[in-house]
Amino acid sequence: MKRYGGLTQVELAEATGLSTATVSTIVKELTQAGVVDTRPTSRSGRRALKVTLARQLGLVAGIQFGHRHLKVALGDFGRTIVAEQQMPLPVDHRVDTGLDRAALLVMDLLERVGASTDELLTVGMALPAPVDISTGMISVRGIMRGWDDLHVGQVMSKRLARPVVVDNDANLAALAEAELGAARAVRDSVFVRVSYGTGAGVVINGNVHRGYAGTAGEIGHVQVDPAGPICRCGNRGCLETVVGSDALLALLRSSHGDLTLRDVISRALAGDPGCSRVVADAGDRIGIAVATLASAMNPQVIVVGGELAETGEILAGPLRDAVRRHLVPNTIAPVEVVLSELGPQAEVMGALALALQSTDVASDVRLAPGTPGPVGLASAQDPGGAGRSGAPG
Amino acid sequence: MSSSSALPALSLHGIDKSFGAVRALEGIDLEVHRGEVVALVGDNAAGKSTLAKVIAGVLTPDAGIIESDGVPVTIPSPAAAHALGIATVFQDLALCDNLDVVSNLYLGRELHRGPRLDEAAMEENARRILRDLTSRIPSVRTLVSDLSGGQRQSVAIARTLLGDPRIVVLDEPTASLSVSQTAEVLTHIERLRDLGHAVILISHNMTDVRAVADRIEVLRHGRNNGSFSGPGTSYEEIIAAITGAMTTPRRSVRLG
Repeated sequence: MKRYGGLTQVELAEATGLSTATVSTIVKELTQAGVVDTRPTSRSGRRALKVTLARQLGLVAGIQFGHRHLKVALGDFGRTIVAEQQMPLPVDHRVDTGLDRAALLVMDLLERVGASTDELLTVGMALPAPVDISTGMISVRGIMRGWDDLHVGQVMSKRLARPVVVDNDANLAALAEAELGAARAVRDSVFVRVSYGTGAGVVINGNVHRGYAGTAGEIGHVQVDPAGPICRCGNRGCLETVVGSDALLALLRSSHGDLTLRDVISRALAGDPGCSRVVADAGDRIGIAVATLASAMNPQVIVVGGELAETGEILAGPLRDAVRRHLVPNTIAPVEVVLSELGPQAEVMGALALALQSTDVASDVRLAPGTPGPVGLASAQDPGGAGRSGAPG
Repeated sequence: MSSSSALPALSLHGIDKSFGAVRALEGIDLEVHRGEVVALVGDNAAGKSTLAKVIAGVLTPDAGIIESDGVPVTIPSPAAAHALGIATVFQDLALCDNLDVVSNLYLGRELHRGPRLDEAAMEENARRILRDLTSRIPSVRTLVSDLSGGQRQSVAIARTLLGDPRIVVLDEPTASLSVSQTAEVLTHIERLRDLGHAVILISHNMTDVRAVADRIEVLRHGRNNGSFSGPGTSYEEIIAAITGAMTTPRRSVRLG
């Protein structure tokens, strides 16, 4: 059921290989136990019973925009992803097409799990750029071309008629790893996201620390080479100009030809020495920047995620060594550098978690008649403290 | 999965094709390597589908050379294309609505075990291929008429994979699909590339093309009108080449 969202009883019988009578009995038992919901539907003109996992409280949606892909997921209050869909995107994808497709995907997924649009409560969005969570705008110009002047949250919220909260992808991945993943046992952690760009999310005392306008943890824009090229952000010699996807692919162009970042990852995993070397050296450079961040905040765990982390220890090994080399040795609790547990799901799970956080407040308000739409947005203006702030008004 | 491997899986040089007075293709060049997605874009009647039919063996060109892995070949019939490892999915998909997924995949090339059909093996293979494509079809015994547009497209793509082809040609695979179905098909195309197939994608949709293509070849009035690297080219440049606002010298933008 988790894999397909919703199925009719007949499809369930086909998928499981059980007889329809057996399926019908099992479904009845599960319905009584409150695990699944059933509703009548029609399939090729015949009446059928659609079976979905039960969700009494409604659903939240998570949307992750990457540099080259879009991921949309629906989750419930049990922290389960009930449906998800991924879609490749072009380089420098357009904001209007992207938001449009994301909104349509959310609607398509709702239909796939047999949910009505009323069941959707809040939407969380992850962007690969620093975001001012109170306005839902990108706070550094030039990082996502064409997205600068748009109130991303407002546009989506208008299109889906639901509150939309927007945050940086590394921050959301940090949130997800801190709640459910590799950093769940500790209070202070850093999530390093190594992908087409590089960023970090900082969790202090269990809360994501975003800074005043969302640029906390932006290690991708720390200067590592004063004589380096000019970065998209406008500064010079940023870490991203050395370890961003363009830089890595340029290093391989003369020996390997035109590759994509996915090629580099799969070849590194297949043992290609050139691709492994490029990934390992990137890990080393990033480790130095992470060590600086870690000496400022002394986390217990540093979680390494993002697409390049799919290469496992090829990236994480040199990154760990660099962190240890450049960080003041703490004899009581040396910092641990571990791979992400949630993997490619981290960002979208974080988006779902943020949506759930913002919904807690909204659902208190919902007890009062007439739910104003933007309440979730307003409550999210208190970064990191949404759960404690109580209902506004 | 290389765009730089020595010999192209398929290369066409100077392909001409006329229908009476209409010159549909004039001196077309096209190359595709293993593990590479080449998109063929252009206006209506630019010659995209004609070129696809030439590759699929449906049409025979009037002139030109076709090389498969560097060896000159002719493709006089669809069966010859199949023998060369070229699989084509046309716009109409050509699926039988009244048959289930497995029967559609194996239509005309059923597996036998003695005198009987080997249903178990066919079902097993069908499941494996659909899983490789990360397809979302609950049961391989579902009738095709019960599937959505995107699911039908994935059955059609899966069918081409049965013969383990080197080259997959997709003619407008995302036309008239919803966004989530388009998402599924584009993900399939990425998978095909990762599995090491050479893919030729014909499409009107610039967003879809730029999302998955390694190289974009523009056709205009049956001629090559520019070759662009997929990730490094803007919408404007491609649109300019399609509409003829800009003529790009042949193969100028090919990197590496």
